[in-house]
Amino acid sequence: MNVNQEKTLLAKLKTYLIFAGPTTFAFLTVIILPFLYGIYLTFTDWNGISATHAFVGFSNYLQAFNDKVFWTSFLLTLKYVFFTVILINVIAFFLAYMLTSGVKGQNFFRAGFFTPNLIGGILLGFIWQFIFSNILVYLGKSYNIPIFSGSWLSDPDKAFWALVIVTVWQYTGYMMVIYISGFMNIPRDLLEAASIDGANFYQRLKNVILPLMAPSFTISVFLTLQRGFMVYDINLALTNGGPYKSTELISLHIYNTAFLSQQYGIGQAEAFFLFFVVAAVTLLQVYFSKKLEVEN
Amino acid sequence: MKRKILSIMLTFALVFSLMAGCDTKGSNNGESNSTVTATKTVKITLLNSKGEIQAQLEEAAKVFTKENPNITVEVIPAAAGQSPFETVTAMYASGNAPTMAMLDPGDIAKFKDKFLDLSGEKWVEDAIDWTLSVARVDGKVIAFPFAVEGYGLIYNKAVLDKAYGGNFDPSSIRTRDALEEAFKKVEAIGVKALEISPMDWSLGAHFLTIAYAAQSKDPAQVAQFLSDLKAGKVDLANNKVFNGLMDTFDMMKKYNIDKNDPLSPTYDRGPELIGKGEVGFWFMGNWAWPQIKEFDTANEQYGFIPVPISNNPGDYGNSQIAVGPSKFIGIDKTQNNAVQQDAAKKFLNWLVYSQTGQDALVNKANVIPAFKNITLEPQDPLAKSIGQYMKESNTLKLEFNTTLPPDHWSKLGASMQKYLAGKIDRKGLIDEIENYWKNVQ
Amino acid sequence: MEKNNRLLNGIKFFALSVFLVLYIFPFFIVLINSFKERKEILENPLKLPSVLNLSNYIDAFTKMNYLHAFLNSLIITAFSVFLITLLSSMTAYIFVRKKWKFNQFMFFFMVASMIIPFQGIMIPLVKIYGSIGMMNSKWALIYMYVGFGASLAVFMYHGFIKSIPLELEEAATIDGCSQLQTFFKIVFPLLKPVTTTIAILDILWIWNDFLLPYLVLMAPEQRTLPLSVFYFYGTYTIEYGPAMAALMLATIPVIIAYLLMQKQIIEGVLKGSIK
Repeated sequence: MNVNQEKTLLAKLKTYLIFAGPTTFAFLTVIILPFLYGIYLTFTDWNGISATHAFVGFSNYLQAFNDKVFWTSFLLTLKYVFFTVILINVIAFFLAYMLTSGVKGQNFFRAGFFTPNLIGGILLGFIWQFIFSNILVYLGKSYNIPIFSGSWLSDPDKAFWALVIVTVWQYTGYMMVIYISGFMNIPRDLLEAASIDGANFYQRLKNVILPLMAPSFTISVFLTLQRGFMVYDINLALTNGGPYKSTELISLHIYNTAFLSQQYGIGQAEAFFLFFVVAAVTLLQVYFSKKLEVEN
Repeated sequence: MKRKILSIMLTFALVFSLMAGCDTKGSNNGESNSTVTATKTVKITLLNSKGEIQAQLEEAAKVFTKENPNITVEVIPAAAGQSPFETVTAMYASGNAPTMAMLDPGDIAKFKDKFLDLSGEKWVEDAIDWTLSVARVDGKVIAFPFAVEGYGLIYNKAVLDKAYGGNFDPSSIRTRDALEEAFKKVEAIGVKALEISPMDWSLGAHFLTIAYAAQSKDPAQVAQFLSDLKAGKVDLANNKVFNGLMDTFDMMKKYNIDKNDPLSPTYDRGPELIGKGEVGFWFMGNWAWPQIKEFDTANEQYGFIPVPISNNPGDYGNSQIAVGPSKFIGIDKTQNNAVQQDAAKKFLNWLVYSQTGQDALVNKANVIPAFKNITLEPQDPLAKSIGQYMKESNTLKLEFNTTLPPDHWSKLGASMQKYLAGKIDRKGLIDEIENYWKNVQ
Repeated sequence: MEKNNRLLNGIKFFALSVFLVLYIFPFFIVLINSFKERKEILENPLKLPSVLNLSNYIDAFTKMNYLHAFLNSLIITAFSVFLITLLSSMTAYIFVRKKWKFNQFMFFFMVASMIIPFQGIMIPLVKIYGSIGMMNSKWALIYMYVGFGASLAVFMYHGFIKSIPLELEEAATIDGCSQLQTFFKIVFPLLKPVTTTIAILDILWIWNDFLLPYLVLMAPEQRTLPLSVFYFYGTYTIEYGPAMAALMLATIPVIIAYLLMQKQIIEGVLKGSIK
């Protein structure tokens, strides 16, 4: 009796609505609708509070592209993403390797390194802001360590590295777990066969481990790339763009353009640009990684 | 099976409705669609953007309710790190506009279609004249001047007395050279001369704006100056006042206790240094008193001297302290009903005319009032000092606050920080300032 | 050979321990400073507290409206995760079992949307929902989390449901079960591993989320825990004492939950990563 009903369009609709209705509705109204409205807003000059706004054509995009600060921020974000993706993945990989080799207290270490991931970015940022501006300075002054005598947050380069360090600290644990699962999926006998054949550590790494870990790399790099480009919480809490706007990464810049300078149209235009870049980068990354996976 | 799903959904609905009860308690900030019921009690809200007096305002609200039992005032703190404009805009957007919103002077005009016309209120007559210029939009007074604040070089009298070997007379410093003399004298007794706080708001909104305010005694001229900046017509490189101020800043940089790492101090370092007498001077405003008090070793003896802009003592700006109405309260008329609006008016009148209100404002919250009728003297030394300058009419009126763009303090504060740290020179700073103004919407 | 291994293991253990201590160091700092007064903290942030002064905690607890904030976070997280898992699993089921063109299109559409960064839609989101008066409500926030979390959950369920043998469902249909009954009686219980994984990932995300609640929840009594900590970072100065205590109070529930369920959490992330 059910099979016949489903053949009718009405029945199909009913089934769809019951099973997927709420989800689809929420998805469309929360993501797609604002997305489309956002596109519309980029063509207006809305300032956030007035009831009216005027149509301004492409001028928001022009202004966004002409804004030197936007490009500086974007390039800085690229630099940030570059370093964080590499550092997080290298350290996580290394930790995962150590923690699947049968070291004593393995589970304890795994749990420990995962902890920073439990805390929200904004809280993390605050904790580290305190450490950089108070603790390290105190250490530097008391023990005469020149590298710490000035607050890292008052120098553009050091503040940048502070951001990188905190980000690495937060995400390494999470990626470590992904790599652990990757390691655990490598058949033991393959590794044993390789060492019996006389392969040393580096050869084993190159020929057995890395190829088989490709899927883990795909996921981990994808996640770190995406999170890197969208970083906001840590940026806000740790440096708030300082000193003098030198560490204002792209998401913070977009937020400030829209909500502080009250230029919503421009902010939205910048946000779209970010979206295209992230989409392009991550799609490319997944595409190439999948190719690597298949070939192996 | 269907029954199970039904029971789950019913439970859901039940819990939903229970929780909904939890919500309405909070979200009833007076939507305009709530009918004016016969209930006797009115609840109004005040969005407070002066975080440092949150506790005092809550106290004041309680005292007010004791005298007006049918009105409760809820004081909501603005989100930290956000400008009041951001917070209030978001509240309007979410249908939760506060009855009273405490905003910065520059934001008032943007709310002109949302704020009640207060031109008929009694306190309009009693307000110190020039404090209302910002609040007059389209000929109507739409905001209440809540606080007057001033800033300049705070001095620790104990340190200065020792440096001068007697009673330090602040009015003796009217020129840049005299200030440098003072710095040298302080250093001579083994104390560092001054602390320059590097926060963008301090340098961008306070220090730099002295250059605007000191352009002329006539506010119309100052306004013209700012329009000219927008039009790109100002040649800052040859502007006497601007360069005079920056020359003083250069001099201050030399004697800055943190000159080796000028951007690292946080706000807290200032009160600690000046309170403990480790520096003689600190550029800041009177709102800093509660923090200084925490560290005070000078028996509460502090005061202000203006930042000199030249070596000619008679120049406008050398004896005048920058003072201005720093916060305004507007009453919402779009999402709060008539009963609430009246209650809000009552609260504002209470602050100005009742003894308990004045006490709450001046003594408890350490606010310098903007009203002539309030004879109550502020108790803290910094407010007293500002009050003194106001009495003698020795003020640089910050009336132009309304025409400063909302991100002025952030963007030009960043430029000043670069200048402080020596990352850009005078020409670089001038370029950044001129470019910023030319690109302002 | 044995000895070399032991030595290597020993070195590894030592290196790991040192690294771990450095790693956990920040938490320790917050802990010791949460017992000190502001002046003390600024003067010597590394010193152990002389007295276990609880005044910061009391101050933070009241100012943060801790119980309320905790409850808000709890309600929002619990309901959101419940709805996401329930609704997404149903959606994924239909997408897998009914190979309609529309289903395939929606599935692809949802997966593709995962790339859209939150910043790209936060401004219009606020404007739309603000103008219909739907802000400042936990329910609006929960609804939004469902919208945001659906795509990833549907994606993960989709992969898993594919591996459930059709025969089980066919047997149920023959027994007279309707589509819904089949789903809840047979399929959903089998989805437990994925559900756990998704639940864990979503709980971590939603509990700690800052930006969305910041934009949506305006009134103080609606605040979630991360928002209420932000309260201490004042306009001019940071009330360090209560701020440290507030940070502790905000992170302790998570740490406790983690210690209790640590095994499941890590396993959940492990399984989730295999896709």
